Amino acid sequence: MITGALLAAAAGAIALSLMASLRAPRCWLATVLASTLPSLAAAAWVLVSGGTWEWRSALLVGGESMHLRLDGVSALFLALLAVVGVAGAAYSREYWEERAHPVSAAAGRCWWSALLLCMGLVLLCANGLHFLIAWELFALCGYFLITLDGQRREVRAAGWLYLVASHTGTLALFAFFSLLTARTGSWDLGPMRERAELAPLFWLALFGFGVKAGLFPLHIWLPSAHANAPSHVSAILSGVAIKMGIYGIVRFSGWLPAPPAAGWVVATVGVGSAVLGVAFALGQHDLKRLLAYHSVENIGIILIGVGFAMVAAAHGQAVWGALALAGGLLHVWNHGLFKSLLFLGAGSVLHATGTREMSRLGGLWRAMPWTASLFALGAVAISGLPPLNGFVSEWLVYLGMFDAVNQPGATVVAAIPAIMLLAVTGALALACFVKVCGVVFLGAPRSPAAEHAHDCGPWMRGSMLVLAAGCVAIGFAPIIFWTALHHAVVAWQGTWTDVPAPESLMTLSLLQMALAAAALAGAAWLWRRAHRGGWARAGTWDCGYAAPTARMQYTAGSFAGIITEWFAWILRPERHEHRPEETLPQRAAWQEHTPETVLERIIQPCARVVIWVSAGARRLQHGRTHAYILYLIVGLAALAILTLVWGR
Amino acid sequence: MNSIIAFPARLAVWLLLAPLLPGIINKVKAWVAGRRGPPVLQLYYDLARLWRKGVVVSTLASPGFIAGPAVAWVAVLAAALLLPLGPLGASLSFRGDVILLLYLLALARFCTAWAALETGSAFEGMGAAREVSFAVLAEAAVVTAVLTLSLQSRSVSLSAMLVPAAGSGTLLLAVGLFTVLLAENCRVPFDDPNTHLELTMIHEVMVLDHSGPPLAAVLHGAAMKLLLFSVLLVQAVLPVGKLPPAAGAGALVAGVLVVTVAVGLVESLMARVAFRRVPLLLTTAFLLCVFALLIAWKGGAA
Repeated sequence: MITGALLAAAAGAIALSLMASLRAPRCWLATVLASTLPSLAAAAWVLVSGGTWEWRSALLVGGESMHLRLDGVSALFLALLAVVGVAGAAYSREYWEERAHPVSAAAGRCWWSALLLCMGLVLLCANGLHFLIAWELFALCGYFLITLDGQRREVRAAGWLYLVASHTGTLALFAFFSLLTARTGSWDLGPMRERAELAPLFWLALFGFGVKAGLFPLHIWLPSAHANAPSHVSAILSGVAIKMGIYGIVRFSGWLPAPPAAGWVVATVGVGSAVLGVAFALGQHDLKRLLAYHSVENIGIILIGVGFAMVAAAHGQAVWGALALAGGLLHVWNHGLFKSLLFLGAGSVLHATGTREMSRLGGLWRAMPWTASLFALGAVAISGLPPLNGFVSEWLVYLGMFDAVNQPGATVVAAIPAIMLLAVTGALALACFVKVCGVVFLGAPRSPAAEHAHDCGPWMRGSMLVLAAGCVAIGFAPIIFWTALHHAVVAWQGTWTDVPAPESLMTLSLLQMALAAAALAGAAWLWRRAHRGGWARAGTWDCGYAAPTARMQYTAGSFAGIITEWFAWILRPERHEHRPEETLPQRAAWQEHTPETVLERIIQPCARVVIWVSAGARRLQHGRTHAYILYLIVGLAALAILTLVWGR
Repeated sequence: MNSIIAFPARLAVWLLLAPLLPGIINKVKAWVAGRRGPPVLQLYYDLARLWRKGVVVSTLASPGFIAGPAVAWVAVLAAALLLPLGPLGASLSFRGDVILLLYLLALARFCTAWAALETGSAFEGMGAAREVSFAVLAEAAVVTAVLTLSLQSRSVSLSAMLVPAAGSGTLLLAVGLFTVLLAENCRVPFDDPNTHLELTMIHEVMVLDHSGPPLAAVLHGAAMKLLLFSVLLVQAVLPVGKLPPAAGAGALVAGVLVVTVAVGLVESLMARVAFRRVPLLLTTAFLLCVFALLIAWKGGAA
C-alpha cells in the first residue's frame, strides 16, 4: 500500500517534470528530485521488507489491462535508477547549461525525464506487451539523448549505430514475447518455472537483452554511443540503461525455466566480456571511449555472478549460488555508482579542457583537485580494490566460485578458469586505471588546454560527491545492504530463503573501515614526518636530465603497450609509422589506433557483402518492358516445370 | 589473553624482522663473490637515516606523491597481518581472507604506480607500466597457487589452507611460487635491485624521485613484501601448522632462511633475462602452478 502511494507520487512528479522541462529548469530539477525520492523509498521498502507489490487495473492499454509489479529484483534496479537519475540531472544543470546549449538544453531535460519514466516502466511492467512498449520508448529516449549535440557528424553516426543495434535486440525481444504469449496464451508475466517447454526461449532473451547490456561481442554500439553522448547521458547510459539488459536476463532467468546449458553459456560470455572488455579499454586513448569499454568488462563480472547462480540453481546448490548472485547484483549497484562517477569526472575534464584525448591532457590535479580526487576514488573502486565497494562485490563472486570449486561435481571445471580470469581481469583493470589517472591527472600538462583548466562548479561537484558517498558507504558497510541483496536473491529463486549472510561479511566491513582509517592515518603521519625534516621542491630528477619537457612523459599508448601487444591478436591495432631517416631527420611519427574490431572486421564486411549482393540484384531492374515480359515467361515456365515434376 | 600477546608479537615480527631479509641476501651475494659485503643490518641503518632526513619533491607532484607510499605500506602490512605466522597464527581469520590479501597487495601496487606517475618522468612511467603489466601474469600464477591450496584443504581461509602440506604437486608449487616471489619482489632474473639507472628496470625505477621518510616507507614496505612472500611460500609447502609449536616456529624460520639464501644464490649465479623473456618466464611460473593445481584436483578426486 505504502509502495503504491510512493510510486504514484513518483509518477506524478515525473509527469510534472516533463511539463516543467521546457520552460522552467529549476522547477524541473525539483520535480525530478521529488520523483526520485519516493521511488527510492519504495524500492528501499520492498528491499527491506522483502514483500512484492502488485497492482492490476481494469485500464486497458493496447487492449491489455495494466499489471505493475515491484519485487526484490526490480526494486534493486529501481533504487539505482533513482540515485543516478537525480545525480545526472543535477550535473546537467551546470554541464549542459542553457547559455552554452540554448537549443538542446531544454530538449535534454525533457528526454531525461522521459528516459527515467520509461526505464521505471520497464522495471514495473509485468505484461509482455507493455514491457515491449516501454522498452522501445526507453530505447528512443536514449537515442535522442545521445544525439543532443547533433551538429557533430560522429555524434549522429554513434546515434544511428545505437538505434540500429538497439532495434536488432528489440526484434529478438519481439520474437521472445510473441512466442511466450503464443505458448502461454497470455501476455501476463510472472513466475512460470514449471513449464519446461518454454526453456529454449531463453536464448532469444539472452540475445535481445545482451545487445542492450553490451556483452561481448554484442557491444558494438556501446563505445561510440557512450563516448559521444553528453557526459551526464553517458553516465546514465552506462550506469543504468545497460543494466536494463542485465535486468532482463536476471528477470527472465528467474521467471522462466532455463535450458541446462544456459548458466554455463552466461558465465562463459561473462568471462569473455570481462577479459576482452578490459583489453579493448587498454588500447584506447579517448578517455570516454575507454570508460565505455570498462562497462563491457563490468557487465562481464555481473554476468559471471548471474551465470554461476544459474548453474547452482540447476544443480540445486543454494549456498554458493546465492553468494554468486548476491555478488553479481551488488556489482550492478557498484558499477552503476562508480561508472557514473567516472563518466561525470570525465565530463568535468571535457568541460574544462574541451578534449577527451588523453595525450593532450595531464597534470590536471592542480587545476581540478576535486575532480582529480573523486575520479581517483572511482578508479580505486572500479579496480576492485579494498576498502571501496568494487572489492566487496568481487569478493562475494569469488567466494561463491571458490565454494563451487570445493563442491563435488562438474562445477569445478568452470569455476577454476573463471576464478583465474577474474583475477587477471582485476589486474588488467588496475593497469588501465593507473594509466588513466596518471596520464590525465598527474605529471605535467601536455597542452595549453590542460594547463588552463578550471575545476567544476558546485552542481557538478555535488552530484559526483553523492555518487562517491555511495561507493564509500557500500564499501565500508556491506553488511547493511545484505538484507536487500538477500530479498533480491529470494525474488529470483524462491527456494533460497534460508541462506544466511556470510559470517565473514561483518568482519570484512570492520576491516575495510579499519583499513581506510589506517591508510588515512599513515598518509597523515608520513606527510607530517616529511615536512618536519625539511621540505624542498625541485624539478623532477629524471636521472639528472636537465631539460625535461611535457612531451617526454610516458603516454597512454606507451603505458599500455606491453599488454596491448599480448592482445594484438584481437585488438588488431592499426599502426602508422614514419621512421626517422637520413642523418638529420626532419620529422618522425608513430600513431597507433585500436579499432572496434568486431564492428569493423566482422559486421562491416558482412554488411558490405549484403550491399554488394543487393546492388547485383538491382541490376535486374532497368525499365525495359520486353525484358520484364521475358522474366514473367521464364518465371511461369519454371513454375510449370516445378508443378509438372514435383507437383503430383 | 593469548591474542593480546600474540598481536604485538606478530606486528613485531613483520615490522622489525622484515629488513633482515635484504641484508641476508646481500651477505650471500657478497659471500659468493668473495667480498665482505655490507653488514646484515645495513637496511636498518639506511631506514633510520632516511627517516631523519628531509625530502625533495618534484614540482609536478601532488600530495598523492607522499600518500602513495604511505597507503602502499599500510596495505602491505595489513596483508601481512592476515597471513598466519606458524605457531603465532593469524591476527584475524575469516572465510575469504585470502582474496583480501591478494587485493591488498594489488592496492599497494596501485599506490606505488600512482606515486611513480606523479613526477611526469618517462623513466618512472616506464617502470610503472612494466610493474602493472607483469603483475597481470604474476596475479594469474598466485591465484592458481591459491586455488591449489584451496582444493587441498577444501577451504577459503588462509589459516586452514596453509595447514596441510601440498600433495604430490609440492615441488611444482614451490618452484612456481618462488618464481612469482622473484618477480613480485623485483629480484634477478626479472629486475636488478642493485641499480636504478637502467632502461630495463621495473620496480627500482618507480621510486627514483622518492627521498627521505617516503623512501624509507617504500624500502620497508618492500622488505615486508619479501618476507610475506617467503612466509607464504614456506607455509604452502611445509606442514608448519601440523608440527608442535616449537618445531613449527623452527621450520618456518629455517624455511624463510632457505628461501632468502636461495634468492641470494639466484642473484649471484644468474643474469637478468632479456626483457622480452620476462612474460615467458612468468607464464612458465603460471603453468607450473596450473600443473600443481591439476595434481591437487585429480588427487582429490581419486
